[in-house]
Amino acid sequence: MNDSLTLRQPKPTTAKPTTARPAAAARQRPLRQHLSRDEIILRGAMLIGALALLIALVMPLYSLLSKSVQNKDGAFVGLTNFARYANSPSLYNSLSHSLTMALVCTLIVTSLAFMAAYALSRSCMPLKRSFRVILALPILAPSLLPAISLVYLFGNQGVLKSWLLGDSIYGPIGIVIASCFWVLPHAMMIMLTALSHTDARLYESARVLGSSPWRIFFTVTLPSAKYGIISTAFVVFTLVITDFGVPKVIGGQYDMLATDIYKQVIGQQNFEMGAAVSVILLFPAVLAFVVDRWLQRKQAALITARSVPLQPQPRRWTDRTLLLGMLLLSITIVGVIGMAIYASLVKYWPYNLSLGFSNYQFDLMDGGGWGAYWNSLRMALYTALFGTGFIFFQAYLQEKLRGFGWLKHLFQMMALLPLAVPGMVLGLAYIFFFNHPANPLNGLYGTLAILVICTIAHFYTVCHLTAVTALKQIDPEFEAVSASLKVPQYLTFWRVTLPVCLPAVLDIAAYLFVNAMTTVSAVVFLYSYKTMLASVSVLNMDDAGDIAPAAAMAVLIMLTCMAARLLHWLLSKGLLQRSQRWRSPA
Amino acid sequence: MTPTLPTDAHPGSAPYLTLRHIDQFFGQFQALKDISLSISEGEFICFLGPSGCGKTTLLRIIAGLDCQSSGELHQAGRDISLLPVSERDFGIVFQSYALFPNLSVADNIAYGLHNRGATAQQRQQRVAELLATIGLSGSEHKYPAQLSGGQQQRIALARALATSPGLLLLDEPLSALDARVRAHLRNEIKSLQAKLGVTTIMVTHDQEEALTMADRIVVMNAGVIEQVGTPQEIYSQPASAFVADFVGQMNFVSGEVLDQHTLKIGGRTLHCHKCRDFSPHAQVRFGIRPEDVRLRGHQDEANRVRGTVTQMEFLGSFMRSRLQVDGLDAPLLADISMNELRDLNIRPGQQLDVTLPAERLHLFSH
Repeated sequence: MNDSLTLRQPKPTTAKPTTARPAAAARQRPLRQHLSRDEIILRGAMLIGALALLIALVMPLYSLLSKSVQNKDGAFVGLTNFARYANSPSLYNSLSHSLTMALVCTLIVTSLAFMAAYALSRSCMPLKRSFRVILALPILAPSLLPAISLVYLFGNQGVLKSWLLGDSIYGPIGIVIASCFWVLPHAMMIMLTALSHTDARLYESARVLGSSPWRIFFTVTLPSAKYGIISTAFVVFTLVITDFGVPKVIGGQYDMLATDIYKQVIGQQNFEMGAAVSVILLFPAVLAFVVDRWLQRKQAALITARSVPLQPQPRRWTDRTLLLGMLLLSITIVGVIGMAIYASLVKYWPYNLSLGFSNYQFDLMDGGGWGAYWNSLRMALYTALFGTGFIFFQAYLQEKLRGFGWLKHLFQMMALLPLAVPGMVLGLAYIFFFNHPANPLNGLYGTLAILVICTIAHFYTVCHLTAVTALKQIDPEFEAVSASLKVPQYLTFWRVTLPVCLPAVLDIAAYLFVNAMTTVSAVVFLYSYKTMLASVSVLNMDDAGDIAPAAAMAVLIMLTCMAARLLHWLLSKGLLQRSQRWRSPA
Repeated sequence: MTPTLPTDAHPGSAPYLTLRHIDQFFGQFQALKDISLSISEGEFICFLGPSGCGKTTLLRIIAGLDCQSSGELHQAGRDISLLPVSERDFGIVFQSYALFPNLSVADNIAYGLHNRGATAQQRQQRVAELLATIGLSGSEHKYPAQLSGGQQQRIALARALATSPGLLLLDEPLSALDARVRAHLRNEIKSLQAKLGVTTIMVTHDQEEALTMADRIVVMNAGVIEQVGTPQEIYSQPASAFVADFVGQMNFVSGEVLDQHTLKIGGRTLHCHKCRDFSPHAQVRFGIRPEDVRLRGHQDEANRVRGTVTQMEFLGSFMRSRLQVDGLDAPLLADISMNELRDLNIRPGQQLDVTLPAERLHLFSH
């Protein structure tokens, strides 16, 4: 081997005629590389994953769509269901109610979220960390909790009833307040991202050019947060218009689209009509989804890798005003949550205000008892466990498997779909698909498994995007290197990819757990008497007039979610400490 | 002269790696056009070319990371055209190094040894051996993030070599480093390669890297091989105007061949050895490197021209000057050493005689 390394004499270059071949001939049959055993296995896994999404998402939605153009006997009737619904006065009412509520909440929440996010990211006020925690609290409670709390505050026997000047909390006022309460953390997260990613150099240039603070706010701050604001508005609009828990508890006679579906299906057993209303409800959600995707693409181009992060400068009056606003907001949130906790402990509102845990003796009331809570806990744990595993591994395959472009494309589309599907619509779609006698998966109906599957499908998109973002950040050549070293790809997944992405994996698990604990919309159609869930039992107990136990159960759910978040925080912190050595340079 | 396409490996040694008629299409775009090449065992080959010339595409095909649209590859007598990455025999170092951040240096280097039945002790021994070879003994327990760019680079090299592959592929391995480290590692990689005798292919867009490291350079442009040759051949006998321009600098002027010895550019005739490769009256591009323009001490009277210095650019050891030569439209770049500058007392605006040596003139067909 060594003699071939001795210095070679320059060799006169000799012409070598290459046999001319028509390029077209070469293009007719492109070569295909043989697949390694590794790739065959992983492609198989991806195929199974795609099939699972097809069954858990696309086929149910197809059943729903086809059901909306059928009559009770399953015959095709075209748009008759829609026409019937359109002719009933209830549609006009529900539609205008839904739109009004969604618009009002969008206006309020977008402004509040902007104010809060601006205060947290651009001011020098104290207590930022505490405010951040408090403002995120509502996400840990089911949307029913603020509604119940409002009943205690402003209801017929409410402590602050006089504040409403004779108006009733049951109706639009209650819906707006409760909706704003539970939607705010979602809005604030988007807004925080939009405002925290900015380029300090823009502000420096503006100051150097002598612009006033107001001018800087309107020419630099607002435009750079533009996409975040629009995105927030659309998310709020969708969340409010598709929510069903709040109007159910506090809406009174004020009908909305989401409650209409519930009434049609649960109340009147009119599944076809429910399907038709669902399709109507899909429109705003799909629109919001499309706009959001479009904005995401625009937003990405706005921030470059060379941006310099902005360090906020103290501004006396701005900081004080913002602090005041944040204090009011936080007091309101803590007040609403505190009221729910207090109400759950009061023995007999409003006659016996002594405290105790009698409302937590769920087994003494209708609504599933403690069994419902344990079911919820199990459901949430399974969702977090299986959901995280499935979503992350599939996202990994989508990002890191070679070839298979068409399937990846299909998979990506399916993974984004759930964001455009309201929970109620998905739940109803599941009834049509899984409860069909001809479906071999019929046995799943009424089990805990179907609740887990539905919940994973419902919250799929955000988790998938989290996983994809994390995976995109790691070196794309890991797989190539390990293949060249003849190490199977799954081993590299286990030894390198997973440990590197562990923070994102924990985020996904926590997100799934919390949502599984608090969700009502999809699962309300799918639980059976054996699989009653805590969040649904809040709804049912409230319906039956057992408001105090309903509050107690809602509080219990919130405490469980807080515990989960705390655990998540501790785990992440411990993990970061352990991996400090390799995550940051010495 | 027609550009030649030398594809043979050096005589006397059987080719270790042979590429035959490789085409690569990305949709309608043809990234590689009929690439044929032979590489003998132990050679250090550089794929050199501007970005988008297809050099990385070709490397990825050799690695099996992408599959060619058509063509064959043979390595050590084995047809590897359609083999997946894991069944080929090579080690690779990427521009990003792709070191596993959560594994220690030792675990990174031993990564490929795990599933080869090596005992823990053997692995440890091999890691220590490789670390000694790359001069990083004692850093077994560090993590990649704790090392400098140049050190990470060497760890990536050690990891690629740990399994003793027959072929080492380097994809722009030095481009992420600063100039000083780059020059140092250039020597180090070259001597390590010579010591181990491993056949090596390096992709680079840096001509200096290719000239200093390679046994043979493959110059690529727009999906085709422009020239294959030793660094000296590439530099002194460029096969095409592209090669002449990409490797080093060259002045180009259009001209016409008069007979076996002379050509006409602008209003004057020059002697040129290369004229015999062209038929009379052929339209050609005439070329000369700035450092071949002589200001003194050359006896070639016929090729002496008169020029005026119009601009001078200080480049450290020499002065790149722009000459307006009588009878030529375009200015001529000439490198004047600092000694000549002092001795001849050259200043902008000055007129002087320069010689364009007949043996240093290049001719390329249009």
